[in-house]
Amino acid sequence: MKKLAVFFLALALVPFGAFAAPKTLVYGTTEKVTDIDNASTWDFHTWEYFQNISAGLLTYKDGSSDLVPALAEKYTVNKAGDEYTFTLRKGLKFSNGNPLDAAAVKWTIDRVVALKGDPVSLVTDYVDTVTVKDPLTVVFKLKSPTGYFPALIATPPYFPQDPKTFPVDKVVHDPSGLASGQFPATGPYKLTSYKRDQEAIFELNPNYYGPKGKVDRIIIRYFADATTLRLSLDKGEVDLAFKTLNPADIDAESKNPKVKTFKLDGVFIRYVAFETSESVFKDKTLRQAFAYLIDRADLNKKVYLGQNKPLYSMIPEGMAYRYPTFKALGDGNVAKAEALLTKAGYSKAKPFEFDLWYTTSHYGDAEVNQAEVLKAQLEKTPLVKVTLKTAEWATYKQQWDKKQMPVFLLGWYPDYIDPDDFSAVFTSTEASKGNGVYFSSKVWDDLYVTERTSADTKIRDAAFKKVQNLWTDDVPTIPLWQGSLYVFTKPNVDNVVTNASMLLLYDKLTLK
Amino acid sequence: MKNLSKYLATRILLTIPMLLILLTVVFLVLRVLPGDPISAMLGDHAPPAYVAEKKHELGLDKPIWQQYGEYLWQLAHFDLGRSMILNEDVIAPVLEKLPATIELTFVSLLVALAIGVTLGAWAAKHRRSPGDYAARLYGNIVYCIPVFWMGLLLQMIFGVGLDWLPVAGRVGSRVITSDFEMTGFYLFDTLAKGDIGAFTDVGLHLILPALTLGVTLSGIFLRLTRANMLDSLKSDFVLAARARGLSETKVVYGHALGNAFVPVLTMLGLEFAVLLAGAILTETTFSWPGMGRLLLERIYLRDYPTVQGVIVIFALFVSLISLIVDIVHALIDPRVKY
Repeated sequence: MKKLAVFFLALALVPFGAFAAPKTLVYGTTEKVTDIDNASTWDFHTWEYFQNISAGLLTYKDGSSDLVPALAEKYTVNKAGDEYTFTLRKGLKFSNGNPLDAAAVKWTIDRVVALKGDPVSLVTDYVDTVTVKDPLTVVFKLKSPTGYFPALIATPPYFPQDPKTFPVDKVVHDPSGLASGQFPATGPYKLTSYKRDQEAIFELNPNYYGPKGKVDRIIIRYFADATTLRLSLDKGEVDLAFKTLNPADIDAESKNPKVKTFKLDGVFIRYVAFETSESVFKDKTLRQAFAYLIDRADLNKKVYLGQNKPLYSMIPEGMAYRYPTFKALGDGNVAKAEALLTKAGYSKAKPFEFDLWYTTSHYGDAEVNQAEVLKAQLEKTPLVKVTLKTAEWATYKQQWDKKQMPVFLLGWYPDYIDPDDFSAVFTSTEASKGNGVYFSSKVWDDLYVTERTSADTKIRDAAFKKVQNLWTDDVPTIPLWQGSLYVFTKPNVDNVVTNASMLLLYDKLTLK
Repeated sequence: MKNLSKYLATRILLTIPMLLILLTVVFLVLRVLPGDPISAMLGDHAPPAYVAEKKHELGLDKPIWQQYGEYLWQLAHFDLGRSMILNEDVIAPVLEKLPATIELTFVSLLVALAIGVTLGAWAAKHRRSPGDYAARLYGNIVYCIPVFWMGLLLQMIFGVGLDWLPVAGRVGSRVITSDFEMTGFYLFDTLAKGDIGAFTDVGLHLILPALTLGVTLSGIFLRLTRANMLDSLKSDFVLAARARGLSETKVVYGHALGNAFVPVLTMLGLEFAVLLAGAILTETTFSWPGMGRLLLERIYLRDYPTVQGVIVIFALFVSLISLIVDIVHALIDPRVKY
């Protein structure tokens, strides 16, 4: 009897919470993970992993593009603007208990440089040396002053990794490639299980320096098809669907009373790229004529059901130093285009004929519709005849490398939040090759040097203003639209937020 | 029996040139296609010098005949090679995904046979009745319907409309597979662990994809069974059975169907290849993590060794099934002699 009383007493003393099942949120997506290694990966979804399982020295303040200390407690910049000194928080640890110190920061950067993976240029273009001053202090000496270096520090290649766990000489594709089989986390969550293209399970990281996430476990389910993802959301098999439903499904789900819609501002853009060095579009008159014929509102309405914003500068809304200069050209300005085409020697009898390329395997199912609507807009004048051509992504990339596509459709997600990442990456002599534009102008290059090496907002503003004015004359690319991010959830999910880089923040999510 | 062994040995040996021809075609087609694994692996930002270094490391700068020779040498040592994208042995993702595809295709085959043979036999028995016309119409329709469309239709009806069945994946979104996974055959694994809840969940997830593939394929079995049944029903042995006073059900389903089933069985071996092809689309529609999705994804990445490896496994699988069908054929049909 006494034993029984003790048993019941013990039972009563056990907190009720001890029996509660972990709060689990299932997140469905059609995205793909590349390598879970910050030395190799440079894609949106895998960077989302890093945003949640790793942390940077700096991070974006909630709801803003301002940078605030994260693993670093503070930082200072020298007068010349080419040396940044970061002081780490005390007592930082990876999820496996290993200490995170200045040596780990340097080791990570050295490894990124040595492995020469995709994001290496985010480091080697800027950083000259990294020096450990003491266990809590690390100094980045830059090749030249870079005003937006703090934005670079907030990107995954700079996120410190555990030197005792990661191999120094090879890329890790997933946690099974690590000796411990577990990714050492520094972010709010740790990755506890991973099956490529199938599932990933995240649980709270007890060693995270910041406030704890509100959901105990997040399971990501990978879908091969956007329609199936939508159906799974409707059936309640997933709590949250993010990236990427088809426009028609986005429209339907936005009106579905059983589903909650979060429309988030996105800074990803879509644009038309010209091969400007050898193709028929070497002649800027033809590029200008193309720009006059585009009707962004019509495109957005017909293809994206009004879900995106027309874009009149390559620098999207929400960014500093933005001047929507393409507005001056108007939309669907057929008369102006015809005047330019006539000047270039084209007529009804001898129309300007060219191939417009798009890819079917990278930007979703609506891409073909976008290409068709653009063709219709361009052919509003009898002086133009467009043939649509398509290739899947691997072929597409090779074709722009080999200058085989005179004009083609591309998109851009920023790497770091600075207007430089929406301008110089497309049109500086060096970077424009990577996007198949092959544009080169000393005037433009000089302007980029000016904005890159200055932290003075007036100087940067003037340089970006000039670049955006030049854009409507040289037209190396044409901005089309700026995307919005749509996240759909069950009614019990709340606080769906992304940071300035549009990466979903798992620790902010709540589940009733 | 000695002759059967000789026949089997010949069939196995014939698999080698078949594989060789298939592999040569796949090897060449992959390399003729624009795009390469290097840009897929390193992205658009890697320095050109490193791209060249990586090309050299993977042997992609060698002449194509040399790459082909090296690949065949590797295969001769039962080595499918290493993935160029993920730097893992090709056999690793193949072994991980194969059980999912086998589970799906076998259950689909059972569905196809159950529907096709039953309806075919019934239609033959009730020749020229409204039911017969309906069954033949069904056979034609399901044979024409694209498999992905059938999948979407079933998802909409049974998944969303009626809310009876799950629409994607192999298990429920909250089920942790590592809790029961052993062989990768989830029906078996969950049963072996005695986890009835997970077994039911796995079974429910299998219904729609298996129905999609099975129903699509059932049309051909239906027509074949019906045609053979009509012949059988006119045969002397059926007449003799009737004369002996056997019930009509026993005559039709016991005697005539058994005989009509032999050509169906032969067709089953051939249709298995169609089934695997259909699995690629079905796996995409239902987010089924099998070989079909693996193949499709690695084609996009131009991961030559993995694509070749998956094709080899598919080809071996089809050959094996054909061989088994031939053996079973010999065992059940006394007219077949080796």
